[in-house]
Amino acid sequence: MTTTIEASAPILELTDVGKSFGNIHALRDVSLSVRAGEVTCILGDNGAGKSTLIKIISGLYKHDTGTYHVAGKPMNCSSPRDALDCGIATVYQDLALVPLLPVWRNFFLGSELTIGPWPFRRLDVAAMRRIADEELQKMGIHVPDIDQPVGTLSGGQRQVVAIARAIHFGAKVLILDEPTAALGVKQSGVVLKYISAARDAGLGVIFITHNPHHAYLVGDHFVILRQGMLDLSSPRAELTLDDLTHHMAGGAELEALKHELQRIDVPDLGAVHDAQEKENA
Amino acid sequence: MTRRFTRSSAIVAGLASAALVLAGCSSQGGSQEEEAALDTPTYKIAMITHAEPGDTFWDIIRKGADAAAQKSNIDLQYSSSPDAAKQATLVDNAIDQGVDGIALTLATPDAMKGVVKRANNAGIPVIAFNSGIDDWKDVGAMSYYGTDETIAGTAFGKRLNEEGAKHALCVVQSQGQVALETRCQALKDSFDGKTTKLYVNGEDMTSVQSTLQAKLQSDSSIDYVATLGAPYALTALDSIKSAGSKAEVATFDTNEQLVSKIEDGSVEFAVDQQPYLQGYLSIDAFWLYLSNGNFAGGGKEPVLTGPAFIDRSNIDDIAKYAQKGTR
Amino acid sequence: MTAGGDPARITKRSLGRRFVTRPEVGSLVGAIAVFALFFAVAMPFRELDSLSTVLYASSTIGIMAVGVSLLMIGGEFDLSAGVGVITSALAAGMFAYELSLNVWVGAGLALMLSLGIGFLNGYMVVKTKLPSFLITLSMFLMLQGLNLAVTRTVTGSVASPPISDMDGFASAQKVFSSTFTVGGVSVQLTVLWWILFVALATWVLLRTKVGNWIYAAGGNADAARAVGVPVNYTKIGLFMTVGFMAWFVGMHNLFRFNTVQSGEGVGQELIYIAAAVIGGCALMGGWGTAIGAAIGALILGMAQQGVVYAGWNPDLFMFFIGATLLIAVVLNLWVRTRAHRR
Repeated sequence: MTTTIEASAPILELTDVGKSFGNIHALRDVSLSVRAGEVTCILGDNGAGKSTLIKIISGLYKHDTGTYHVAGKPMNCSSPRDALDCGIATVYQDLALVPLLPVWRNFFLGSELTIGPWPFRRLDVAAMRRIADEELQKMGIHVPDIDQPVGTLSGGQRQVVAIARAIHFGAKVLILDEPTAALGVKQSGVVLKYISAARDAGLGVIFITHNPHHAYLVGDHFVILRQGMLDLSSPRAELTLDDLTHHMAGGAELEALKHELQRIDVPDLGAVHDAQEKENA
Repeated sequence: MTRRFTRSSAIVAGLASAALVLAGCSSQGGSQEEEAALDTPTYKIAMITHAEPGDTFWDIIRKGADAAAQKSNIDLQYSSSPDAAKQATLVDNAIDQGVDGIALTLATPDAMKGVVKRANNAGIPVIAFNSGIDDWKDVGAMSYYGTDETIAGTAFGKRLNEEGAKHALCVVQSQGQVALETRCQALKDSFDGKTTKLYVNGEDMTSVQSTLQAKLQSDSSIDYVATLGAPYALTALDSIKSAGSKAEVATFDTNEQLVSKIEDGSVEFAVDQQPYLQGYLSIDAFWLYLSNGNFAGGGKEPVLTGPAFIDRSNIDDIAKYAQKGTR
Repeated sequence: MTAGGDPARITKRSLGRRFVTRPEVGSLVGAIAVFALFFAVAMPFRELDSLSTVLYASSTIGIMAVGVSLLMIGGEFDLSAGVGVITSALAAGMFAYELSLNVWVGAGLALMLSLGIGFLNGYMVVKTKLPSFLITLSMFLMLQGLNLAVTRTVTGSVASPPISDMDGFASAQKVFSSTFTVGGVSVQLTVLWWILFVALATWVLLRTKVGNWIYAAGGNADAARAVGVPVNYTKIGLFMTVGFMAWFVGMHNLFRFNTVQSGEGVGQELIYIAAAVIGGCALMGGWGTAIGAAIGALILGMAQQGVVYAGWNPDLFMFFIGATLLIAVVLNLWVRTRAHRR
């Protein structure tokens, strides 16, 4: 599953993209390019515009201003299915898989392999099980039983199954929405490993996260959104983990706040406590 | 399951079904074999029953009432609810509308007492019919037209004695309904042989059929199946055949198809309470009362509409009316 | 999500374990228990003739349960299924009689009506996104009223007109309601139809694309949509499948009993849902099998007939059916929890 797009040409390019809902500007002048074999990390607080951006990239929303090109052509997908055909696969944090379905059925869900003429057209179960197993092996994960329900896998393993599925079905761009948010340290490590595996397989990966430490482990390019605008867009070479953490934590704003706090007198805590007790009573 | 309904395929389907309809005409059976203003004051009468919607028996009562209403220039308002409280509410509604008379069934006399009193206070005459033979006077009705489940059940049991039956199966289609239980009990009390009760799910005819069949298979001594409604008698015939039983069938109440089964001898007899007569008389009585002050029974005695037996000896007279759905 | 725990500890599941975790195994144990109970206490239950009667009683529940269980796996309910059967039977009878058509044409028109009702149910559920419980409850009540009102308006009575003397009745009866003999025992054809429908539904569920979509639509509709599964079409199709089954059972009623009373069918929808749930269908969708629903129908059929064969006090008829069901359901749960704990 390697792609032959040259490193210089971005697979996916957004220029000055904006989106507003009524009076609210959810996104303003965001430019972003995603290249094959690169992990682009999008960081930002809640409400910074990350989910709006993902929905524009994956074709669920139409942007209002700016341009959005996929492989050099204007993007005009309007459903998840269309986006898949354009090579853009999105793995959502919690709605990626059907928990009660076996691993191999999940792997091929929506793109089942069939054999036989129409009235007798049936699933090619043997091939589907074999391919699902092979693809997961290729990613270096070992599912004990390809027939076990996906719900019995760990959170990390489930993300990986979803990633392997996206790669197998020819995704050129893989969008991962907070894949490590609900996971422990060890499980997060598993997912991060497969993010780099996906990058090495030649995909452009968009990795959305809160966590600068996770981002810095795998990222090639970092974008921080703040209040719908680009706060930072920088390649790995120009950035240290400290810079990233600093920006993420609020950067300049945090500095200002620090100064402000130093100048304020320590308030009379006794009064505050009294007030709280009255409220609680 | 990605069906795509294109316009052309819809047209093809439409033409095809039209062709089917034309080509599929039946040469026999069906409706192809089938084919009054007065100068008296108009009265508004409410008829309020405890009927379950969709029961053929009550349909005949209503037809009788409609016929009387048409003949006597009465504006008939029919309503029903098997729920006692709702039936009482319907009576209340009729009183509020200021009707000239109320005909009602007293399946639950206690629930009706209050509203009947209210009607009497408002000067609205009330006639009871179909059920409540023991209570109509207490409740405050003017007359009563109908029969009594105990009398009907007793007559049924005695008839079984005459027929020489040994073991009767009483089939109850709805559990816990007073009228049905009374019929069964009276049958049991007057019948010299053994009586077994069987509950069936009247909502599902296939279940009625199989439960009956199971009972007949498990007890071959049953020689008479007594059903409490005409449709169940027809199903009992099916069950008897499937179970290889030799039992005869008799039933309470009739309908059009049952009559033809009595004609061909597959059903022995039916005990008829003449629902048409009940409906007719209880409406016509208002005309007599409102226009001439007459009332039957003198306020003391009920007017009995049954039980009447229908069997092969008198079926020919009844069959032609049953065809019209009035017997 | 609880089973297994640490992935490292999950070992290859044995064939035996894979068997006991199948959704229908609990109900199978329940069915065996109910069968053993009545076999022990009811002499007539041991006869082959009785088995045939039990199978017949189960088959009419079971055919509907096929459609209802598929729909439940797909994550939806249909409360209009019970009266839908009667609607279809009444429609076929009235179309044929009033228009003097061959009864097959009447049956064809009724099929279109039943599929149409299913489509309407499904379309409203996917368009309004309201719980199917509410949509189909409304449909149930509306059909209950229409069954009565339309029948009365058209025929002047409350039952469908008799059609046994019309063209095509004999052949239709052969298809929908005839008997065949196996080893001297006469068996209703509906039993064969039931087995056929269960087999077909099982094949669709386990071996076709559509089956995969049904499980996914019930298990996680958003995930299914995200990978391009036509969830809405799947659900509408499932409602129409219930409509088809209702038509089939309706035709059986019509051609067996020649006429149908318009007030019947109320409450049957719960029996069908019960069969599916006893058979291991999850109330929330995404889990279950058609074979399980068939076993559920068999348990209901055995309970219904077994109480009669046993000759228990008829006043307690409903109680015994309820108690039998409770035993079956508790056993089912016990087997399932044991299977998953191991």
